[in-house]
Amino acid sequence: MRAGRAVASFDSATGMLRALSRFLHDKDVPLLGQAPAALEAPISALAGGAARLPRALKERAYALSGWAEAVPARRVPEIRSEELAGWVSGHYPRRPSPVAFVGSSNGALVHLAAALGVPWLPQTLLLPVRRHGVSPDDPRGDLAVTRPAGEALLAANPDLVLHHMHDANQDRLMIAGMTYFRVKWRRLAAAYRRFLEETLPRGATLVVVDCGLRRPVTRVGPRYLFQHGALGGATPEEYEHGGPRVAAYLRRYGSDRRAWDYPPADGESPEAEWGFEPELLGDLTDLARRNGWRLARLRFEEPEDLSPVVADLYRSWYARRGLPGDRLLVECFLLLEPWWTLRSGSVPYWMVFNAEQSRRRALSYLDGVEAFDEIRLMLFSHGVESVGLASVADWRELLGRARKVGVFTGVDTGTYPRDFAGLIRARRELARIRTTYPMPLPLEWPVAEEFLAKREEIDWHPGE
Amino acid sequence: MPLEHVVRTALGLKVAGWRSRGPGPAVVCVHGAGVSSRELLPFVRALGATHDAWSIDLPGFGRSEKPPRPLTLAALADAVAGWLAGSGLERPCVLGGSFGCQVAVDMAARHPGSVASLVLVGPTVDARARTPARVVGQWLRNSVRESPRMAPLNVADYLDAGPRRVLAGFGASMRDRIEDKLPHVDVPALVVRGGKDRMVSQSWAEEVTRLLPRGRLVVMDGLPHMVPYRDPGGLAREVTAFLKEVTA
Repeated sequence: MRAGRAVASFDSATGMLRALSRFLHDKDVPLLGQAPAALEAPISALAGGAARLPRALKERAYALSGWAEAVPARRVPEIRSEELAGWVSGHYPRRPSPVAFVGSSNGALVHLAAALGVPWLPQTLLLPVRRHGVSPDDPRGDLAVTRPAGEALLAANPDLVLHHMHDANQDRLMIAGMTYFRVKWRRLAAAYRRFLEETLPRGATLVVVDCGLRRPVTRVGPRYLFQHGALGGATPEEYEHGGPRVAAYLRRYGSDRRAWDYPPADGESPEAEWGFEPELLGDLTDLARRNGWRLARLRFEEPEDLSPVVADLYRSWYARRGLPGDRLLVECFLLLEPWWTLRSGSVPYWMVFNAEQSRRRALSYLDGVEAFDEIRLMLFSHGVESVGLASVADWRELLGRARKVGVFTGVDTGTYPRDFAGLIRARRELARIRTTYPMPLPLEWPVAEEFLAKREEIDWHPGE
Repeated sequence: MPLEHVVRTALGLKVAGWRSRGPGPAVVCVHGAGVSSRELLPFVRALGATHDAWSIDLPGFGRSEKPPRPLTLAALADAVAGWLAGSGLERPCVLGGSFGCQVAVDMAARHPGSVASLVLVGPTVDARARTPARVVGQWLRNSVRESPRMAPLNVADYLDAGPRRVLAGFGASMRDRIEDKLPHVDVPALVVRGGKDRMVSQSWAEEVTRLLPRGRLVVMDGLPHMVPYRDPGGLAREVTAFLKEVTA
């Protein structure tokens, strides 16, 4: 099966891969990089119209879009990790680079890599698999029905670990007709190795992006983990044991349950979407030694730990270039625009998702820095009034921190969080900002490394 | 509460004004091209609950005296400054609507010290759309979202002013390079844009705010160009909050 067909398009890893690889080809990301730019206006109009449909229809459309891009369970054994790796590395231009990143997905890292003009290879990809007849609130049912497909995937791909993930909160609509198989490479794929050897000269730095986020799991097999929930609005305890917010959410969605019934957790593992699986380090160490590269490690506990670091790096870089650095672009999940970030002279601050905890962290970032004249906010619209979702009114508080212009970018406040068009409108609105700046030459890697080494939010291991 | 009707002389011309006397500091509203205070009166009533709210008819428009020749933009701004000087109001806030923003900005830039703050509601004309064809196109696209009850008021205004003055007003609005004056406005300024305003794009409203040294933008979701007529209460709340912040 074609690798591009097996991998989810509307996912963090692929969204970030598209944003960064398009940036390295000197392109922005119209239509999330999914269709020709010429179609942006008509598709935007269509999606804007669709956002006005009745709620039930919109929810069906979300579910249908998930199902449509998922792989039929019978075809899962055809997926080959080597082809996935080739598909990923094929996105990037081939040219010498002083540094490359490999490992965890992270939106702030995409901006770091963009500033340096260098690639990042994800350790994790999402393979959505079709599934019928299981309610989103039935994690055990999901595992029972899709486990054979998971086992077949692992049998065919000994270099992968499967993090079968079930988030009945934020993925409610998407998992109506499919399940989430997130796979992590525990061995370095040959296509990744070839790409790195073609890109990194002797003396270059290979940086392992190592997010230490962990989650409760049920161990299904030696390389098969079933993860309870995801990072976002609900806490791990709420997924495991429920609570008033979960009960209210289930009532809201007409479920007859008042808590979810995950199989008992018997351990923790790197978080399916963001966490780094350290088994890969062995191959990376060998490869770096053989090629005379320095193997550095960028370690942080949670995905958003890197966001203020990269935001401040950009601000100091703008200051050195004599630009005001008074614009902040708050991005969310896979909504990333590295090209327009630099052209508009914006400081990028990335949020993992649209929940209250991300809003609080963004506010606390703003508490600690000089105020911005302009703040633009992109919000990912996932279609669900999920536990812990921050409301439009809550977000206005953040926008109110701007001295001059605090505006939603691409968000239809009337239809959020059920607003398909937001995904498309964000780039269009960014591209209309007046007063832009020329694209800078890449940031020098030693400057960036010195900056990273000083920051307390992250552990920087320079390696040898 | 009924509005007070006050006629005062500025630069030798009789200028008509309406007032709703509230407790807070004075706010003087200036209308758009070709029209008059008529469309602003619901807003003056709403703002009168908290502020000493005024609206004046520019010379040549509405109930004000008509000079023999239409006044230029600078002359209109001077007339407003003259009116303010004679009003006894202590450095009020001036609120412009549409073309009224251009008058207010010209006045604030050329008569520093005359106002304490500005509110620019739907500031025209986008520097990138300053051709008659584009402005007419934008006006048509915007008009479908305006209240149908406003149309008879517009017609009455156009009849009051006569075609020569209406055209002169639009001409003055098209020739004005407001973007060059905005950096010279040294008072706090609130820019208000209706989220569905087709005459004032989001990017232009942002640019106007950016160019104002002490600007701040508020977008009122779902509203067309004539925010004061469409949502007088909502705009009054925004203006009240802004003035509270400015005077704090």
